[in-house]
Amino acid sequence: MATVQVSEAEKVYILHGIRDDLRVDGRGCEDYRHMEVETDVVSNTDGSAKVTLGHTAVLVGIKAEIGKPRPMIANQGYLEFFVDCSANATPEFEGRGGEELGTELSNTLYKVFNNQHSLDLKSLCISPGEHCWVLYVDVLLLQCDGNLYDAISVAIKAALFNTKIPKVHISSDEEGGKEIELSDDPYDCMRLDVENVPCIVTLCKIGHRHVVDATLQEKACSVASLIISVTHKGIITCSRKVGRGSLDPESICEMIEAGKRVGKALHPPLMKLLQQEESLGNKRQKVGFLG
Amino acid sequence: MLKSKTFVKKTRSGGVMKVVREHYLRDDIWCGSEVCTECKQDSAVLQRDACIESSLCPYPHYLVPDTNIVLRQIDVLEDPVIRNVIILQTVLQEVRHRSAPVYKRLKDIIHEQGRHFYTFTNEHHRETFIEREPGESANDRNDRAIRVAVKWYSQHLKTAESGSDGLKVVLLTNDQGNKLKAEENGLVVYKFDEYIKSLIGNPELVDCLALSNDDKNEVTSSKVLFPEHLPLSKVQAGIKSGSFLQGTFRASRDNYLEATVFVQGEGEDSTEVLIQGLQNLNRAVHQDVVAVQLLPKNQWVAPSSVVLQDDGAAKDDNVDEDEEEKLTGPLTETARRATGKVVGIIKRNWRPFCGMLNVSQIKESTRHLFTPADRHIPRIRIETRQASTLAGQRIMVAIDGWPKDSRYPNGHFVRSLGGAGEKDTEEEVLLLEHDVPHQAFSQAVLSFLPKMPWSITPEDMAQRQDLRHLTVCSVDPPGCTDIDDALHYRELENGKLEVGVHIADVSHFIRPGNALDKEAANRGTTVYLCGKRIDMVPELLSSNLCSLRSNVERFAFSCIWELNHKAEILKTRFTKSVINSKASLTYAEAQMRIDDASKNDDITKSLRGLNKLAKILKRKRIENGALTLSSLEVRFHMDSETHDPIDLQTKELVETNSMVEEFMLLANISVAQKIYDEFPESALLRKHPAPPPSNYDILIKAAKSKNVMIHTDSAKALADSLDVAKVDGFQYFNTLLRILATRCMMQAVYFCSGMDSDFHHYGLASPIYTHFTSPIRRYADIIVHRLLAVAIGADSTYPDLMDKHKQSTLCNNLNYRHKMSQYAQRASVAFHTQLFFKTRGILNEEGFVLFVRKNAIIVLIPKFGLEGTVFFDSKDKASPNLVFDEEGPTLKVEQHTFHIFDQVKVTISLDDSNIQHQKIRMALTEPVIPGVSVPVPEAEPQAKKQKLDR
Repeated sequence: MATVQVSEAEKVYILHGIRDDLRVDGRGCEDYRHMEVETDVVSNTDGSAKVTLGHTAVLVGIKAEIGKPRPMIANQGYLEFFVDCSANATPEFEGRGGEELGTELSNTLYKVFNNQHSLDLKSLCISPGEHCWVLYVDVLLLQCDGNLYDAISVAIKAALFNTKIPKVHISSDEEGGKEIELSDDPYDCMRLDVENVPCIVTLCKIGHRHVVDATLQEKACSVASLIISVTHKGIITCSRKVGRGSLDPESICEMIEAGKRVGKALHPPLMKLLQQEESLGNKRQKVGFLG
Repeated sequence: MLKSKTFVKKTRSGGVMKVVREHYLRDDIWCGSEVCTECKQDSAVLQRDACIESSLCPYPHYLVPDTNIVLRQIDVLEDPVIRNVIILQTVLQEVRHRSAPVYKRLKDIIHEQGRHFYTFTNEHHRETFIEREPGESANDRNDRAIRVAVKWYSQHLKTAESGSDGLKVVLLTNDQGNKLKAEENGLVVYKFDEYIKSLIGNPELVDCLALSNDDKNEVTSSKVLFPEHLPLSKVQAGIKSGSFLQGTFRASRDNYLEATVFVQGEGEDSTEVLIQGLQNLNRAVHQDVVAVQLLPKNQWVAPSSVVLQDDGAAKDDNVDEDEEEKLTGPLTETARRATGKVVGIIKRNWRPFCGMLNVSQIKESTRHLFTPADRHIPRIRIETRQASTLAGQRIMVAIDGWPKDSRYPNGHFVRSLGGAGEKDTEEEVLLLEHDVPHQAFSQAVLSFLPKMPWSITPEDMAQRQDLRHLTVCSVDPPGCTDIDDALHYRELENGKLEVGVHIADVSHFIRPGNALDKEAANRGTTVYLCGKRIDMVPELLSSNLCSLRSNVERFAFSCIWELNHKAEILKTRFTKSVINSKASLTYAEAQMRIDDASKNDDITKSLRGLNKLAKILKRKRIENGALTLSSLEVRFHMDSETHDPIDLQTKELVETNSMVEEFMLLANISVAQKIYDEFPESALLRKHPAPPPSNYDILIKAAKSKNVMIHTDSAKALADSLDVAKVDGFQYFNTLLRILATRCMMQAVYFCSGMDSDFHHYGLASPIYTHFTSPIRRYADIIVHRLLAVAIGADSTYPDLMDKHKQSTLCNNLNYRHKMSQYAQRASVAFHTQLFFKTRGILNEEGFVLFVRKNAIIVLIPKFGLEGTVFFDSKDKASPNLVFDEEGPTLKVEQHTFHIFDQVKVTISLDDSNIQHQKIRMALTEPVIPGVSVPVPEAEPQAKKQKLDR
């Protein structure tokens, strides 16, 4: 896990600041850093988004492929996650250094996103028991400056919003043989309903208080954090504690309340932004990776 | 500027793949016009004064055809009158995608300098590239791209300084929607036929116009004659579910209301479905790939034995119901066959057809029926105003379509080949009908030829063994210029013998994958017609650089054996070499040298040595069960000036023929073994399957009738029994038997060793065989040369050579070309025979009955190697009493019974009553059967007339 070394004096400084609701970079405890979202950045995916949050940068690409539904849930498609911790992000990821973090992140992502409540998985079904769409969600960490979960979740939501799945229809003959037919119009595609897709809010317990969107320095001062996934209605779909330390029940309740509040407020501006971008269509000036 | 093109496609495994391609736009694509001063082009293709005299466009103009115009009207575009045409990249790509032959023709026009066709890469031009919009179909997008490009052109040329010339760009389209939109955009746009009809100087072009859809409706009555074809998607679904069968449609030659569909099954098991009646044939044309639906069993019928020719010229669109009734022959249960109807066409296999025009009786009419030379093909209705000139000529016609309310397909005139019956015309017809590529070699192909003067360089010598000192000589038929084999023979110091077969090293000159190689692979074989040769490779190679002529240094691929005096191979060695042939002999010359005891030079001595070994080899081969079969080959003596046949004789074989043949066989077998050992998966071999026993029935029966037993259990048994088969006082019997045996054989074929397990060559009794010895005239040999060169490390390999599927496809083409070239050869002999008899009048000759049929006997005239049919029934004469016995087989005509091998006398004459199908007519003179045979002709006009009816 990407970490920074922070001296005792610095820790005290950060701790005292947070106690007074004033963070090193001037934010309040429930404020996010500057966030940038751009969709449709990788042309050979079916949907993609790039999110930068402070200095944290993640890229999410989604590829839709036809697969076989899981035996127990024959009428649903499913998502697969893979998190690639590129050594570009931090030298610690070199070799197999990022593997553990990657697995941990993707396990959480499965839990948060791969269920019927977050995304209408039934709409990914092509023919029950035989064909369904499998969305391969590939996350690439470009730069790590804390709060990976939140950045990744926003990027996934944006990428899902951007995903265009080619429309197929099944033609069947008398004997039940099925054939997948593809529309030849590249614009003829299916969009996903991302309304219920949650965003993750990570709350870091620092001293007696907790902050959202902790930087790496702040993280170094915290012993435990809680990650909460919140939908646009403020419903919590998942929560998880990460870090070595422990949290007392009282502060957990507090943190959940705060997470709910922050998470609920995160959705409307994001959706507005995505829709705005979408409406520009082909005329949009792409920023990409060099902008 | 970078754009990306995105599309989704289905993968073979059933998945869906998104493909993204980068697409670069540029601003340095020039317009190609002489007028333009803006564009920095080196040489402009389009002329300044682009004048085609048209009453619609009196101003100079450039033409821009859309895709459908190019696809359908390529015949018109090929006319040299059409010049200054802009072919947009969009159009070119679409054409390429939709029809490879049309694409090739279009490319050829573009490359022709005098035609001023310019390809404008509008898809990469910054200002003319457009992206597909949501809701727009691919076709609409392309139409829009064409309009955008035309618009760009007209503005571009207007802004050019000399816009005052009034140079305009004219869009040609037959699509009503496209035309309207173009007009809205202020473009000059015409329908193609409108434009062509407006050409003042060239009214004949109108004939070449393919009929467009809306024209067809006028042509025919509104009565729907045929059921609708099913759409492709339904057809495919049906084939998958098994309710329809897919197969190749084969129209019957003799009955226009009948056809069979050959359904290829898994492995060997394939079936034939019978189709009867116009409705069920449903507009399928010979060689189309169709989908058929089987009829319920109670509607199955038997193939009719009636000969029906479509003569419904006057009745035209009325289906002749009475003729359909005639079809229903006797319906015995056993004779019934699987019967079906055509429900859809999967792939049309239309090509331009040769034939003649039936001029309509109505004088002013411009619509005429065209009768193709190939009787499998229905008549075609075409529109022409030059009917009177075209009558009596052989012409080519292409089919445009077959609407469901028309009795005949609609087509258009392509070109005239010349007067019917003329030698050049007929030769052209038979080449076209047998699909023999015979155009002159293109510039692209010729560019791969070595530069003249050609000489052997020291580098070449370093890679080859120098065999120039050997006494090599070649023995070939007289007049042969493509000598691809030569031999040498010498006694070694150790008392053993060395024999070398030297084959022209064609693969040195034809490198894999280039245009020359592709052309040769496509042609597959050189076709020999009487007095004409259609080369597989350009003449520079076939008659000069590769031809192993005497006293010049040539590259060869040599196969050298060390043999003992019993002709047993001790050592075999292959090498690339340089040879210098000491003599090019004909078979007869070589024979004379061997026989002339006074000659004792090196060449003669080698020939004698070779001859001795060849005899041993031949004996061994025959002991192994190789067959010596016989077929009569005819040679014409041609008049040196008119090239008309003046005399004809059957080819004679001398000892030296078989001498050369023996060593070629030996070389082929040695090479086959070598390449198979080296490349068990991808060796190109030749096999000759053993015929199924039932094939021999006729031979056994025929021999039995003369009390001779023929054993057909094995090739050896057959060979032995043929050798002993003799009848006293009937010298020709043995030859006749061998001719019959030849007819029982299967076709030998090329195949790839990785795709088959049976390698046996039945006729030669060899376990493995290939073709190595004639690379100048057979492409298979070139591949074998390459394989062998790789095997001995003399050349490098390339991927296609080792790909067994590619090899297998190549083999299929070679087999097809080989078969067609044989047919073409036969057709050429037949035509020359006709020419010969034309000048001879009526002849009286002796012949033998070769086959006995239900209503006829087939007679062979040994003197001419000619086979003909004597019919005993005729349309307008009461037929004599015929009794056919299948067991014999014998045919009893009135009182006389015909057996196979009976000796008869016939008169031979040329029947030119049908100019399209001239025939040799035979009529019986002996034995005399009253009412059947004809008197011996002493120029009695009466006799002649009788002979002409059947």
